[in-house]
Amino acid sequence: MLRSALHKVGPIVNLPGRFSRYSCVKICQRNQSTDNRIEVFVNDQSVWVEPGTTVLQACEIAGIQIPRFCYHDRLSVAGNCRMCLVEIERSPKPQASCAMPVMKGMRIKPDSDVSKKAREGVMEFLLANHPLDCPICDQGGECDLQDQSMMYGSDRSRFLEHKRAVEDKNIGPLVKTIMTRCIQCTRCVRFADEIAGVSELGTTGRGNDMQIGTYVEKMFKSELSGNIIDICPVGALTSKPYAFTARPWETRKTESIDVMDAVGSNIIVSTRAGDVLRILPRLHEDINEEWISDKTRFACDGLKRQRLTQPMMRNREGKLAMCSWEDALPIVAEKMVNTKAEEMSAVVGGFADAETLTCLKDLLNRYDSEGLCTEELFITDGAGTDLRSNYLLNTSIAGIEEADLVLLVGTNPRFEAPLLNARIRKAWVHNELDVAAIGSKVDLTYSYQHLGDSTETLKQIADGSHPFCKRLSEASRPMVIVGSEVFKRDDATGIHAAVATIAQNARLRSQKGGQDDWKVLNVLHKVASQVAALDLGYKPGIDHIRKNPPKLLILLGADGGAVNKEDLPKDCFIVYIGTHGDHSAPFADVILPSAAYTEKTATFVNTEGRAQQSQTAVSPPGFAREDWKIIRALSEIMGSPLPYDDLDGVRARMSEFSPNLTKYDAVEDANYFNQAVQLARLAKPSLLNQPLQSSQLSLADFYMTDPITRASTTMSKCVRAANEDLPPDL
Amino acid sequence: MSSLVGRSVGSLKNVPIKPIMSANPTEARRRVLTLYKQWYRAVPKIITTFKLPYTKERLQNRIREEFLKNSHIRDVRAIDMLVIKGEMDLQETLLKWKQECHMKELFQHETAIRQPTDFLGKFFSQK
Amino acid sequence: MHCKILLSYNSVNFVGKNWSGLSAQMFLVQSVQHGLTSKLARVASCAHNQLCHYTNLPLKDEDRIFTNLYGRHDWKLKGAVQRGDWYKTKEIILKGSDWILQQIKDSGLRGRGGAGFPTGMKWSFMNRPPDGRPKYLVVNADEGEPGTCKDREIMRHDPHKLVEGCLVAGRSMGARAAYIYIRGEFYNEASNLNVAIREAYAAGLLGKDACGSGYDFDVFVHRGAGAYICGEETSLIESLEGKQGKPRLKPPFPAEVGVFGCPTTVANVETVAVAPTICRRTPQWFANFGRERNTGTKLFNISGHVNNPCTVEETMSIPMKVLIEKHCGGVRGGWDNLLCVIPGGSSTPLIPKSVCDDVLMDFDALVEAQTGLGTAALIVMDKSTDVIRAIARLMEFYKHESCGQCTPCREGVNWMNDTLARFTRGDADPDEIDSLWEISKQVEGHTICALGDGAAWPAQGLIRHMRPVLEERMEQYQMKKQQAL
Repeated sequence: MLRSALHKVGPIVNLPGRFSRYSCVKICQRNQSTDNRIEVFVNDQSVWVEPGTTVLQACEIAGIQIPRFCYHDRLSVAGNCRMCLVEIERSPKPQASCAMPVMKGMRIKPDSDVSKKAREGVMEFLLANHPLDCPICDQGGECDLQDQSMMYGSDRSRFLEHKRAVEDKNIGPLVKTIMTRCIQCTRCVRFADEIAGVSELGTTGRGNDMQIGTYVEKMFKSELSGNIIDICPVGALTSKPYAFTARPWETRKTESIDVMDAVGSNIIVSTRAGDVLRILPRLHEDINEEWISDKTRFACDGLKRQRLTQPMMRNREGKLAMCSWEDALPIVAEKMVNTKAEEMSAVVGGFADAETLTCLKDLLNRYDSEGLCTEELFITDGAGTDLRSNYLLNTSIAGIEEADLVLLVGTNPRFEAPLLNARIRKAWVHNELDVAAIGSKVDLTYSYQHLGDSTETLKQIADGSHPFCKRLSEASRPMVIVGSEVFKRDDATGIHAAVATIAQNARLRSQKGGQDDWKVLNVLHKVASQVAALDLGYKPGIDHIRKNPPKLLILLGADGGAVNKEDLPKDCFIVYIGTHGDHSAPFADVILPSAAYTEKTATFVNTEGRAQQSQTAVSPPGFAREDWKIIRALSEIMGSPLPYDDLDGVRARMSEFSPNLTKYDAVEDANYFNQAVQLARLAKPSLLNQPLQSSQLSLADFYMTDPITRASTTMSKCVRAANEDLPPDL
Repeated sequence: MSSLVGRSVGSLKNVPIKPIMSANPTEARRRVLTLYKQWYRAVPKIITTFKLPYTKERLQNRIREEFLKNSHIRDVRAIDMLVIKGEMDLQETLLKWKQECHMKELFQHETAIRQPTDFLGKFFSQK
Repeated sequence: MHCKILLSYNSVNFVGKNWSGLSAQMFLVQSVQHGLTSKLARVASCAHNQLCHYTNLPLKDEDRIFTNLYGRHDWKLKGAVQRGDWYKTKEIILKGSDWILQQIKDSGLRGRGGAGFPTGMKWSFMNRPPDGRPKYLVVNADEGEPGTCKDREIMRHDPHKLVEGCLVAGRSMGARAAYIYIRGEFYNEASNLNVAIREAYAAGLLGKDACGSGYDFDVFVHRGAGAYICGEETSLIESLEGKQGKPRLKPPFPAEVGVFGCPTTVANVETVAVAPTICRRTPQWFANFGRERNTGTKLFNISGHVNNPCTVEETMSIPMKVLIEKHCGGVRGGWDNLLCVIPGGSSTPLIPKSVCDDVLMDFDALVEAQTGLGTAALIVMDKSTDVIRAIARLMEFYKHESCGQCTPCREGVNWMNDTLARFTRGDADPDEIDSLWEISKQVEGHTICALGDGAAWPAQGLIRHMRPVLEERMEQYQMKKQQAL
C-alpha cells in the first residue's frame, strides 16, 4: 500500500533518504479527486471508496471495525500483527486488511468464518506469550489486547509450554517498560521514527527473541516521548509517574486545554477525588492531532507542589504569614484606592486566562490606570499590536501541511512548541516541505538549511540580496515563522520589520502573487496568555513599569523573572495573584492564591488566535479562588463592583473588547500585511549585530520553563536524565 | 399511542380530559379538605409516635402551611395528584415507615444556616 | 489412509514467490473421495506412460547445462569459454528483450528457487512503459534451505554461467544492473564469483557496451550476513538496502517497487544460469525434457541416508526411485530400508516410502503427493531415523530463523518447536497431535512471507504420515513414567 502510494506521488529515487517504506494514507487520499471512486462490497454491502483506500478503511466506511494492533491511522503501515486478516473473495488466503489496497469490485468478508478463525488464531498466538498479569497491569481497563481477546479470542487455552520473559528496559523517567507484555506491534518504533523523528527505538533479535528497545540502555530522548504510552496497545509501555495510581474506570475525565505552551493542545484531565492524576491528549486535527508534548502530559504533578493555598500578608516583622481573604482583600483594596492611577500597574504572566485579563483591565481602567503589561515581550513600534495579523501564527498549524517552504527565524520550535514542530516534520516527511532557519543551529528532528544566526542574513533576505531569496520567490506557499524570543532583543522592531518585509515580498513574489489569502508571516508565541492579552490591549513588556515606577503593582502569575524586587521602588506595594510560590510570590506584600488551569473554566487563545475553553477538573486547593473572582471581589471591596458577577457576564464583557475571544475554536482571519509593513517602515527600524539565538537548545532546557513545571518532580527528573544522558534509576 | 401522536395538537384540545378522581373543582376541594382533616386529627398520634419535641399547635400550623403552599393550584388533575401524594405520605407517617428525622425535616428551614447569595459572600464562604 | 487429514488440506497459492527452498507450488489437492494410495497409484501409472513420451531418461552428457558441476575443469573465463559459455552472447543481446522473453516462455522454464512460477511470465512483468526509474535484476544466491546446495555448486564451479545469465536475463527485462545477493557463509563462492565478474569486465563482457552489444550492464555482488530469512525476496531486498532483513508486505510487488524503490525482479541462481543456454540451444531443446508444464533439466541434491550423496543434473520428472538408485547408489541398506523422504528442501512435507516408490520428481506430481518440489533437495531418511526428532530439529531451525516480525510465525513456530520437543520425548497427550495440527494450520497462510508456511509444512507432513509413530512414542513414555512411579 505504502510504497505503491509513494510510487504514485513522487520521484521514488529520492526516497531512501527519507522514507522509502513509509507513506501516509491520508495524504495519498488527499491527492485523489472525488469522482474516480470505486465500488467494493463489504459483507455484500456496496461501498464507494477512493482508490488507494485500504480494505480496513473501506470496512470502516461501511461501519465495520476490523480489530487491529499494529495499524495506526497516523503511522506507516507495518502489517505485522496479522490481527486484521480478512477474507477476500477469490483470494486463497486471508489478507492483512490494513495494508491491502481495495480493488474494483472486491468482495470483502470481514465476518466470514475464515476471517473469524484467522483472528482467533492470531489472538491465541498473541496471548501465548503475553503474561497473565492484568490485575497488576496499568493498562488494565484501557488495553486493546484485553478488549480484543474478549471480543475475538477463544475462551480457553491449550498453551502448555513455558512463557517467554523479557528483561525490562530503562528508557528514562517518563516511560515505564514491562517488555514481557510487548506484542511487537512496533507502533512505538514507528512513532519514534516518523512522528518524533528520533530514531532511538528499534527491534533487536529475531523470532521469538525479538525485542523492542534502544539497544544500549539510554533515555528515549524526545519531547514527545509520552505518546508512545498512548499508542502502545498493551501494557508494555506505561506512564512511570502514573504507575499503580488508578484504574481508568475510577477516574473522572474532563476535556480541557493545555497551557504549557502557546499551541493550546487539547487534553483530557483524569481526576479522582480532587486530584489530577494524569493528562491525556484529546483529538484536535487542527492543533495537536492526537499527540501532546511531555511537558503537557507529565507536568501535572507540579499542580500539587509549591501551591499557594491561603492568602498571605507581611506581618509586623515583615514576614509573610497566612491570613484569611477577609483580612487580605480590604488591605489591598485600601492600598489601591489610595494609590494614584499612574502609580498603579499590573503585570500578567504566561498562565493568565482571558476572563481574568478582562477583569483586571476593567479594574485598572476604572481607576484610570493604563499600567497593564504582559511579561512576554513584543514590539510596540510600527503597527505593534494594533494589527492582529502582526502577532498571530497566521497560516495556522494545520496550514503548515499546505506550505512548501518554511523559514524559521530566531526560534527552536522543537522545544517552544513541540506539536508545531511535529507538524512541520509531518509536512517535511510527506509533502516535500523544505525548511530553512536563521538562528541557533539545533536539532529539529528534520534536516533544514541553516542560514546562520546573524541579523545580516535577515537583512540580506529582506532586501533581496541573499541567495535564499531565489528559493523563497520560487515557493508557491512559503511561510516565515518568527519566534517570540527575538522580541526580547533591543532591535525587536527591526527584526519584526525585516521578517514582515521578507514575508510580504515572498507573498507578492510567490506564484499566486499575493492574490490568494495565503499568509506568510507567522509569530510563534511561547506562553498561553499572550495572544489574549494582546487582543485585550495589554502592553507587551514591562517598559511601562520601568518608565513609571509603580507604588502598587499587581503581579498576575508573573513568574517569568521579568519583574524583580530590585527594579521596583522600595515603597512599592506588591500584590501577587497566582498559583505557585515560585519566582515572584516571595517578594510580594500580599499573596492571593488563585486557580491553576485544571481548576477553572477559562478561555485561552493559542498562537493561531484560536480561543478555547479549559474546564474545571478539580476545585482549587485550600482557600485558593478562581482568578477573575478575586479581582471581582477586590473591586467590590474597593467600593465599585465590576458590573458582572458570573462567568457569562465576564464573557459578555470579554466579547465587547474582542469578539473573537468567545468564538470558541474558531480562527479569525487577520490580514493587514500591507499596512503592517508600511507602518513598520515608518518606525525606521534598525538591526543590531548580535546573533539570533534560542534559549532552549537541548532537551534538558525543554522541561522546566514555568511555575508548574518548576514545581514538578517528574520534570526535574527529566532534566537530570536528559543532562546525564543516562536515566536515573527510578 | 401512535394514533395519538399522529393527531394534531389542535384536535387534542377538544378531547375531554380524563379525570384522575375528581370530576370538578368542588369535588377536588372536598378531597383536599378530607385529607387536611385526616392530617389534622393525626397530629397528636404523630407527636407521640415519633416523640417529637413540638406542640400540637405548632405541627398543625406547619401542616397547614404545607397545604397552603399549594393553594394557588387550580388544575383538578394536579390537585388530585397532590391529594394522592398527601394520602401516601400520611400512610407512611402513620404506619411508621418514616423515622423521626423525616418528621423533623419539616422544621429544618428554621434552624438551617443560610448560604450567602451575594457575590462577595459566596466568594468568602465557598469555593 | 488419512482421509480426515486430506480433507483439511487447504489449497495454497503462491504466485510470484521465489525463495530458494520453500516449496510453494502446492496448489490444490481437492479430490479427496479417493483413498490416498489408489489415487497415487493412478497418478503414477499415468505418469509413467507420459514419461516415456516426454523425458529423455537418463540425461545424456551432451544435454547437461552445468558441465563443470564437480569442478573437474577450469572454472575461470578460459575454461568457461571452452565449455561454451559467452558464445554469441552479443547476438542474443542484440536480438532484444522480446526475443529472449519468448525463448524463456517457450522453454517452459519454471523458477528454480522453490515456488516454480513460470519464469518467462515473471520476467515480462518488468516490461512496462518506462517511468524514469532504473530497473534491477536481483539474483537470489542466499541459498540457505537445509539440504540444498545446488547454487553453491554453480557459483563455485561455473560462475560464468551465472554472470552471463545475469546479462541475458537483465537484457530481457531491460535492467540496468544485477545485484547478486550471496549467502554470507559462501566465502569461496563469493570469491570465485567476484573473480569471474572481474574477468568478464576485463574481457568487455560486462560494463559499458557489454559484449560489444551497445547495452550497458553492471553486476554487483552483495554478501549477506547469514540469515535464512534473507532468502525471501522482499526481505532480501530490505537487506540489500541495508535494513533489517524482514519481509515487506505485498502488494506492492517488487516488480513495481523493489530494491531502492525501483522495479526489480528477484530470480534464483539456477534460473538465471540456465537462461543463456536455453537461448543458445533453443527452447524446444529444453522443453524436450520432463513432462508438460515441468520441463527442462534440474539440479537435484540428494543427501541423507543414501550410499552416495550428490548433486546431479537430471531431467525433470525423473522418478524418485530412479534418481536415488542411479545416482546415489541407492538407499543405505536397500530401498526397503527407506522410511521417508523430504523431497524439496526442509520446508516441504515428508513423504513415506509407499509414496516414494513411484512418485515423479517434478512440480505437479509432488503437489499431488501433498508435498512439493521446492529446491529439489531430497533428504532421505532410512528406518534408523528418529523421524520425530528430525522434524523437531527442523522446527528448531525455523524457530531460530523466524524474523519475528509477524505474530503467527513469531509465536506459532516457537510454540510448535516446544511442542515437538516434547513429542520427541513422548511427553504429551495424543490429543495434542491434533492441537499441533491446528496450530500449524493457524500459522500457514497467515504470515507476511512464506517462512511460516515452510515451518508449518514439515510438522503437517509428520502428522499426516507418521501419526502412529507419534502415538507409540507417547504410549512408551507414559508406560515408563508409570513404571518409575
